[in-house]
Order: sequence, then C-alpha cells, then structure tokens
Amino acid sequence: MPHLQTQDTITAIATAAGRGGIGIVRVSGPLTKHIAQKILKTVPTPRQVHTTKFYAADGSIIDDGIALYFVAPHSFTGEDVLELQGHGGAIVLDQVLKRTIEGGARLARPGEFSERAFLNDKIDLTQAEAIADLIDASSEQAARAAMRSLQGEFSKKINHLVEQLIHLRTYVEASIDFPEEEIDFLSDGKVQQQVEQIKTQLTDVLAAAQQGVLLKDGITVVIAGKPNAGKSSLLNCLSERDSAIVTEVAGTTRDVLREHIQIDGLPLHILDTAGLRHSEDLVEQEGIRRAWLEISKADLILLVIDSTDNEINNADYFEKNYSDIFALNKPIIIVFNKIDLSGTCNVPLHASLSLSAKTGAGLPELKQAIKKLVGFQPHNENNFLARRRHLDALERAQNYLQQGSIQLTEQRAGELLAEDLRQAQNCLNEITGEFTSDDLLGRIFSSFCIGK
Amino acid sequence: MNLKQQFDVIVIGGGHAGTEAATAAARAGANTLLLTHNIETLGQMSCNPSIGGIGKGHLVKEIDALGGVMARAIDQAGIQFRILNSSKGAAVRATRAQADRILYKQAVRTILENQENLTLFQEAVDDLMLENDHVVGVITQTGLKIKAKTVVLTAGTFLDGKIHIGQNNYRGGRAGDPPSIALAQRLRGYNLRVGRLKTGTPPRIDGRTVDFSVLGVQAGDDPVPVFSFMGDRSEHPRQIPCHIAYTNEKTAQIIRDNLGLSAMYSGNIEGIGPRYCPSIEDKIVRFADKLSHQVFIEPEGLNTHELYPNGLSTSLPFEVQVDFIRSMKGFENAHLLRPGYAIEYDFFDPRDLKPSLETKQIHGLFFAGQINGTTGYEEAAAQGLIAGLNAARKAQDKLSWTPRRDEAYIGVLIDDLITRGTLEPYRMFTSRAEYRLLLREDNADLRLTAIGRDLSLVDDHRWQSFCTKRDSVIIETERLKKLWVSPVSELVHSVNAILEKPLLKDQNALDLLRRPEINYAQLMSVDCFAPGVTDEKVAEQVEIQAKYSGYIDRQEQDIEKQRRYEELMIPDDFTYNGISGLSNELQQKLTQIRPTTVAMAMRMPGMTPAATSLLLVHLKKRQKIMNVA
Ligand SMILES: Cc1cc2nc3c(=O)[nH]c(=O)nc-3n(C[C@H](O)[C@H](O)[C@H](O)COP(=O)(O)OP(=O)(O)OC[C@H]3O[C@@H](n4cnc5c(N)ncnc54)[C@H](O)[C@@H]3O)c2cc1C
Ligand SMILES: Nc1nc2c(ncn2[C@@H]2O[C@H](COP(=O)(O)OP(=O)(O)OP(=O)(O)O)[C@@H](O)[C@H]2O)c(=O)[nH]1
Ligand SMILES: [Mg+2]
Repeated sequence: MPHLQTQDTITAIATAAGRGGIGIVRVSGPLTKHIAQKILKTVPTPRQVHTTKFYAADGSIIDDGIALYFVAPHSFTGEDVLELQGHGGAIVLDQVLKRTIEGGARLARPGEFSERAFLNDKIDLTQAEAIADLIDASSEQAARAAMRSLQGEFSKKINHLVEQLIHLRTYVEASIDFPEEEIDFLSDGKVQQQVEQIKTQLTDVLAAAQQGVLLKDGITVVIAGKPNAGKSSLLNCLSERDSAIVTEVAGTTRDVLREHIQIDGLPLHILDTAGLRHSEDLVEQEGIRRAWLEISKADLILLVIDSTDNEINNADYFEKNYSDIFALNKPIIIVFNKIDLSGTCNVPLHASLSLSAKTGAGLPELKQAIKKLVGFQPHNENNFLARRRHLDALERAQNYLQQGSIQLTEQRAGELLAEDLRQAQNCLNEITGEFTSDDLLGRIFSSFCIGK
Repeated sequence: MNLKQQFDVIVIGGGHAGTEAATAAARAGANTLLLTHNIETLGQMSCNPSIGGIGKGHLVKEIDALGGVMARAIDQAGIQFRILNSSKGAAVRATRAQADRILYKQAVRTILENQENLTLFQEAVDDLMLENDHVVGVITQTGLKIKAKTVVLTAGTFLDGKIHIGQNNYRGGRAGDPPSIALAQRLRGYNLRVGRLKTGTPPRIDGRTVDFSVLGVQAGDDPVPVFSFMGDRSEHPRQIPCHIAYTNEKTAQIIRDNLGLSAMYSGNIEGIGPRYCPSIEDKIVRFADKLSHQVFIEPEGLNTHELYPNGLSTSLPFEVQVDFIRSMKGFENAHLLRPGYAIEYDFFDPRDLKPSLETKQIHGLFFAGQINGTTGYEEAAAQGLIAGLNAARKAQDKLSWTPRRDEAYIGVLIDDLITRGTLEPYRMFTSRAEYRLLLREDNADLRLTAIGRDLSLVDDHRWQSFCTKRDSVIIETERLKKLWVSPVSELVHSVNAILEKPLLKDQNALDLLRRPEINYAQLMSVDCFAPGVTDEKVAEQVEIQAKYSGYIDRQEQDIEKQRRYEELMIPDDFTYNGISGLSNELQQKLTQIRPTTVAMAMRMPGMTPAATSLLLVHLKKRQKIMNVA
C-alpha cells in the first residue's frame, strides 16, 4: 500500500470536555502546519509544550491553553499532528474545532485517527480488530445520534431545503442535457431567484443552529409523569437551582419550565411539564396539552414515577398509564422517585432507575444513564459532534451556493452554477442521505416529457 | 483467408460495438477476425439516422481521440450538423449529425476493408468453444470451428430478439434480420446473469406524401461543424435541413382509444424500456395534460424520400400507426413505408464484467454494446473500442486499460455499468459525469490521444497533427501569461477599450481572457497582444482553459484526492466475508462485484465512509500478515 500522504487533513475533539477539565482538539494531515499558524499565529517547536492563546479569525482570543505539534512521521498518526488543549467547556472547544475547519481540515470520522495510525504502520497488527471495531461501533452510534438530532423542526427545514435544491437542479440539469426538448426552462432570472431563496433558507437554518437551538442547548430532555410524582423536584435537583415551584398539591406545574444544564460538558435542555392526568380545569388542560407537545419533540424522556404508589406493582400498571408515551418510540428512562420513603424499588424494568429528588440519592446514576443514552462518550462520535457535522455540511453547502450564484450573475455560466449546485447537494447528502445522478435523472424524466 | 489458423481476437457482430472492437483490436496489433450475419449490414443504424448529441457527441469525440471509426464515418455521411447547447459553456456543448444511412454504412465498410490485421467473414456464430472456463474459439452456423485467444461478443438486440407490432410478434434481431437464438440459448447455459430489455422505433414515412410547407424547418449550423479531429468540412456530402411537426389532440385521442392494442400496454412485453425514450403511447399516458408533442422529421438520406419521425416510437398495430400519423398537420395523406415496432432482447448484467469488459466467469470472453444493457450507437461503439483493445492486449499478454471517470465519458459509462448495473437501457447524459467540466468535446484529444498512442491505437498521421496542436496551445498560453499590462502604462487605454471594467492592477493577457466579456479574437484585436495563433482550434482551447481555470483546478484537486484510492488495488482473492462491521448485504455485493480498486468499491451503492475505512484497515492487515509470512 502506498504511503497515504496526499490526503485530507482531519480534525476532531479528542476528549470530552469534562466539568472544568481539559478538552483537546486534535488535527492530523498535510494542512496541520498551516492551521497552527492560523490559530496560534506561530508554528510551535515540535514535541514541546507550548503555552499559548487560541485566536479567532478576527484576532480576538478564544481560549488559553497548550499546543503540541508533532511532525510526520514522528506522531501518533504518522502525519503532522497538532493538539490544542483548552480550558473552556464544550462551546469554546467547538469554536476551536471550527477554527481548524476554517483552516482547511474536515471533521474526522469515528476512528479515523486510529485508522491513519494503523495504515501508516504506527499501530501494530494485533490492534487491527480493535480499530475495526471502533470504526464500526462508533459509526453506528453516530448514525443513530444523527438520526435523533434530525427529528423535529431541524429535519423538516433541511428536508424542505434539499427538496427545493433538487427541484432547481431538475431544471438546471434538464436545460443542459435536454435543450432540444419542449421544456419550459426557467429564465436565468428565475433560477437566480430560486438560488437566492435557497440561500436565504440555508442562512436561516444555520443561524438558528448557531444561536444555540441545536448546538448550545444540545439535547432536549423532557421530564414527564403523573402529578406529584416529583418532576419539578427532579428539575430543581438536576439544575441545582430552585427554579420550579414544588408543593404537595397535585397539579402544581402548569407552564413548561426550561433549564439549561451541562452533564460533564454535555449540554442539555431540561423541561419540566405539567403532570399528566384527566382534568376538568381549563388551565390545567392547557398545561397538559403543552406537556404533550414537548414530549412529542423530546430527544429523551424522563418518566418520573412515584415509588410510594402501591399500584406500580400491578402487572398492567405501565400499560394502563403510560402506553401513549411508550407509543412514541422515543428513548425513555423510567425514574422511580422518592426512594427515601419507599426504600428501594424492585419493579424489574429495563432502562429504569431509582432515586430521591429530595436527598439526591441515585442522581449520579441518572446522569450516567442520560449520558449513555444520548451517546456522549469520550473518544466516540456523539450527538453533539453529529450536530457539528451537520452545521459544517450546511456551511459548505452555503459556500457553494454563494459561488454558484456569482457564476450565474457574472459569467452567465449555467454549467458552472450546475456544478456548484451539485456540490452543495453533496454536502447536504451527508445529512439526509445519498441522492445520485441517476436519482436526479429519475426526477427529470418524471417531471418533463422527454424523449425522442 | 485461412480459417484454420488461430486468430488473436474474434469479434462477433458487425454493429457499432463490433466494428470499433474489430478495428481497435487490429490497430493494437492483434490478428483479428470479424464475424457477422451479413457484410451488407456492417455499421447499420438500427434506429434513428443520427450520431452524437449531448453526452453522446462527447463519446464520439473520445472514440475519435483513440483513433476510432465513428467520427470519421459520420464526417463522410453527415447531411446536417449542429452544435447543441452552443449558447452554453464549452463543457456542455455537443456535436450532432444527421446521417445518410447508406453513406454511413459505406464509410464504415471502407474503413474496415482497409484495416490492416483485420479479416471480415460473413457467418452467424452459434456457439463458443470453451476449455474449462477459458474461451478458445467459436463455432459458426455451418459448423465451422475457428480458434482465437480471445473473443468479443457484440450481438446487439439480436440475442433471442422478439419483435412486437400490436398484438403480433415474431422472432427477429431487428426488422429484416434474423435473431440469434442458438447462441442466446448457449449463453443462458453459462453462469452469467441474463435479463430482458426492450426498445422501440417509429414507423417510416414516404416524403413524397408529406406537405413540408406546413412544417417548421430546422437548418444545420453554419459554419458546418466537423466531428473527427482528422476530419474536414470538405468531406461532408450535401447538407439538407430537418423539419419539425407536432402531434395534436386528435393524435392523442387515437392513441388513447387503441392503448389496449399496444404491445407495451397489453402486457405482452416483459423487458424494461428506457425512461427517457418512451413510446408515444407512454408520453400520451404519462403526460396527459400535454396537448401536443414535438416530432423531428429527419431525412434518412440524400437519395431517398424515406423519413424518420423522431419522437413517435410505437408498438401499436400498423393500422393505428397509419391513423395517428395521418392526424398530424402535413401528414394527412402520408404513406407509411415501414411499421414502427418494439423489440425485446437478452442482455447480460454488466456487474458480471471486469473494467476491461471481460466477463468474470469466462476468461478471454469480452462483451460490448447493447448486450451490456446500454442503448445507442455511441455507447455501443465506446464499449466496443475498449473491449476490442483489451481483447487484443489480453491475447498479447499485456495489462488491460480502461479510462477512469475523470479521464473520459467512456470511463463514466463503463464504471457506472460494472459498479451499479442497470435496470433500464443505459444512455449517456452529461449529468452522469461528476467531472463534467473537465470532460469536454473540445479537449477529448488532449485527454486521450497520448494514451491512445501508447496503446498503439493512434497512427502517425494523427499523432503528428495532435502534437502540433498540443504544443501550440502550450506555447500560446505561455505567451499570454508573459504579456503584462499595468494600469499606469501607456498601453492601458487600448486594453481598457475592450474591457467592461477598467484595469485596476497589473494583469497578464491570460487573466484578461478569463473575463466573461472577452474572447480570444477581441484580445488579439489589441495591438500589444497580437498577433495570436491562426489555428481556430488552438485559439479555442487556450480560451476555454482560461475561462474554466478555477473550476478545473477545483476538480483536479478532487481527482488528486481520489487518485490514491484509484491506485489502491484490491487483490482478486480478497475475502469480504467475516469482516465484522460490514453489513451482510455489503459483504455479498462486494464478493459478487469484486471491485478492482478501493475507489471502485467506494462508488458501489451502499458503501459508506465507515465501510471504506474498514476495507482499508483489512487490506492493510492482510498486507502486514503477508509481509510477516
Ligand atoms: C428497434 C430498435 C430501436 C432502437 N431505438 C433506439 C433509440 O431510440 N435510441 C438509441 O439510442 N438506440 C436505439 N436502438 C439501439 C441501437 O440501435 C443500438 O444501441 C446499437 O445499434 C447497438 O449497437 P451494437 O453494436 O451493440 O449492436 P447492433 O447494432 O444491434 O449490432 C449487432 C450486430 O451483431 C450481429 N450479430 C448478432 N448476433 C450474431 C451472431 N450470432 N453471429 C454473427 N453476428 C451476429 C448482427 O448482425 C449485427 O450486425 C434501437 C435498436 C433497435 C433494434
Ligand atoms: N420524600 C420525598 N418527597 C418528594 C420527593 N420528590 C418530590 N417529593 C414531594 O412530592 C411532592 C410533589 O412534588 P413536585 O416536584 O411538585 O411534583 P410534580 O411531579 O412536579 O407535581 P405536579 O407539578 O403537580 O405535576 C412535593 O411535596 C415534594 O416535596 C422525594 O424524592 N422524596
Ligand atoms: Mg410540578
């Protein structure tokens, strides 16, 4: 096998940002030196610890930290490698990552650093299987995580965007491949207008994403359950703040309450909702309606159950009370609360755990369970990164649209616009899945009557 | 001729694939025999009398750049030439010519008869001679056994061909020709995957019964385009126009009323037809709200009144064909010379082929043309050239050659076929090529002729002309690069006179040529840049390369990234089974297709980046184990 030198430069967050701990962004490949120069304003001496600032594109400081530079082949991957260790949390780390991408790196796929190390003879044969497992296991997880983060508004918007792009390409490509056919081709003005529309929408999605709806807020966890189960208590407990009103009156919570927290650097959006039950009270009814709305949009549901309730031992308890929640087919953690009163809870259920929102017992286990379920593990692909991947793809798509639109206005070159649209679609395909040239031809043939 | 001798290469079939295959093999130095049903039908156009068009014209130019037949033949037979997409950029412009069928056949035959190393013989082939899983020759209808090191099969639509007109059907290879049934049966006995496809053709009309005064006229381009790099306008016969007619609501009504009688609609046909080339029945049904369809009325030749109504392919009964043709304006009294029909035939799953177009199952047996699931003369010819070349090279114990996707449309065609297979007759479109901006008609010679020369496909005459052009392009580009103008110099006024926006910084002539409003001739109108080159082709090339330079660089970077995967060979005996993490489905597909390079594996449907990584790791692992052992 030839030495794999001429390839892409890759980047990734190499460790999760622990609470107050150190996060590492690692870069490997031919552009590493160039990237170091951009972020550090200097190229560190190889193999020496270099205390430094990380700079944003505008010259402002993103973070203080340590940089380590290794020159090929004397590095972990066998290529030029840069390690940037910062102090900030997930968001700062994400900014550093973004800077490396601006410098020309692309996000590494799961296991790709190890893969390169192996391909460059830096890891011995015995580890081949382990690496293969890493590539496989983590990518599956990534796929699942990506799917999850694709639920809801974000995916709707992106699918809409892709659909419009395909529609436009159908016209642009048909006008190139079938100029002799009787097709009402779009005028250049119309094409321009549609490119602009797609660009605007892309900007909207990106802005929404960057404002934090996606990244900063991370995963949405909704606390649900019957009245008085202790939902609001759990929210206060997780957020370490006294934000929700807690009383012994069933039906206390009416509005949806939102808190932003981090578990070991994993950003979470936690929502407390009204207790679910049949109610005649108009205000409570509205609260329950809103609760359901949030539950249906959740990435993860914490179903809180009062463990002192005797009925939980009935065989049909879950079916009778929560079948509509289970029917949503979403990730759920069942939380038996108030174990300080009930002792332990011995309902044998998969994906369940017991705790006390009052004493805090069992809380660390819940946090672990949440982390595990949303796939946030150091070294592995996770939801957080999957979304960064999406953002990155959107940004690249936008660049292509920008260039394409210039080609059309300044050069009147439809075939160059077509090329940029194709590239933009390739970027979006990374989010929504493959769309081949044959798929496009299929669209053309079903949209226009073509053929001699 | 001594049929007792052993040939290097035998080509079965004298259609568009077969004639390119036979001449390519012969040019490559192989002692070649072409066997075909009928010498009179060498180079016969089974359907529409035209060559080229978008995507197809690109293929023809590539065949030509490799010394092939098609472009030279059409230059001698074309009776109307046009450049399609002439208002668009160079990458998507394409040449198309209307052909005089008779002249075309004659031109092909003349080229074949004068080809060194090539023997022609009229005889149907009924069987192959095999030893183990190697082909060693063929057996003809009359029982002749002829030996060869390799065999190229290009039987077109003939394998178990079945012709449908309305409710009637009969066995045939195309109208007026016998099918190949014995051979089809023998081939079905081998371990090759076989399917059925169908295609159709319109009825032909006697021009003396058509009122041309009510039809639209479509003239050819002036100046008349030329197809071959070695061609010249002076070779063209007399040029004549085409006409344009329209179907109307009455036409649609007749067709709708008789749909049940169409072979395609009554369920008599199992084969799958092309989506883009639907019958008129299909068009009326699927696009019911379209009240009128355009029909190009194409002459079949200079010395015949026969007309080809392009767009009216049909398998309705003959009486209905007469009715619907006569419903069109100008055709009220039309006389039909031949009925339209649909034809069904056997094709082989192209995923059973190697990139060289050799079958994976039978060594030394190559397939090309319609039998690989394609449609179109140009697609057939392109494969023929590659199969013939590689059959010769195999006979000579040389490595095969197939262009990559970034080198030629021929590469796109073959790669699509062997990695993705096809469900319908496959036709080339420019949108199939991800490197469309690089794969232009205008640079087919620059992309391929030097390679063709190394492969012995290109003769001295072409090679010299090519070198002259190539060098002139380089010299002129370098000259323009060195001509600098400064906004403060004296010269700037004459330069600004041709620019939309005045010069703001130092630029050279090549930079100026990149501007959308500037072409080469305008540039040369400025004294300080003159005199330019006089060869139009050279000037055109310099200009196009300048205009596309940004995108060319971008695509070349992509290619460079991909290159290492193209060069990473996967050993023939590599096992995919048991690679944990690769889905069973992918393991199976990879085992079946046996991609020759990692790049080819990456292009297979269903391959993900993670799957590629796994493949790389396992390839490396295997190599490490082999190194240790
Ligand atoms: C009815 C019809 C409609 C078509 N419509 C279209 C269309 O609309 N658009 C389009 O692009 N293309 C169309 N085509 C396809 C086009 O004609 C083919 O793609 C092209 O001719 C294929 O070239 P080929 O060399 O593979 O086969 P062919 O041109 O079919 O040549 C096959 C040759 O092999 C010979 N042969 C076959 N079997 C044997 C044997 N056993 N022994 C010896 N010789 C043998 C035959 O005599 C013939 O010379 C149509 C074809 C037909 C028949
Ligand atoms: N002993 C004990 N009491 C608890 C625990 N968690 C909640 N409680 C009590 O249970 C009662 C209900 O708690 P809330 O947190 O208001 O319950 P809720 O599920 O939000 O109720 P609604 O908003 O009415 O649906 C309060 O009196 C809490 O103090 C616990 O772990 N142990
Ligand atoms: Mg509450």
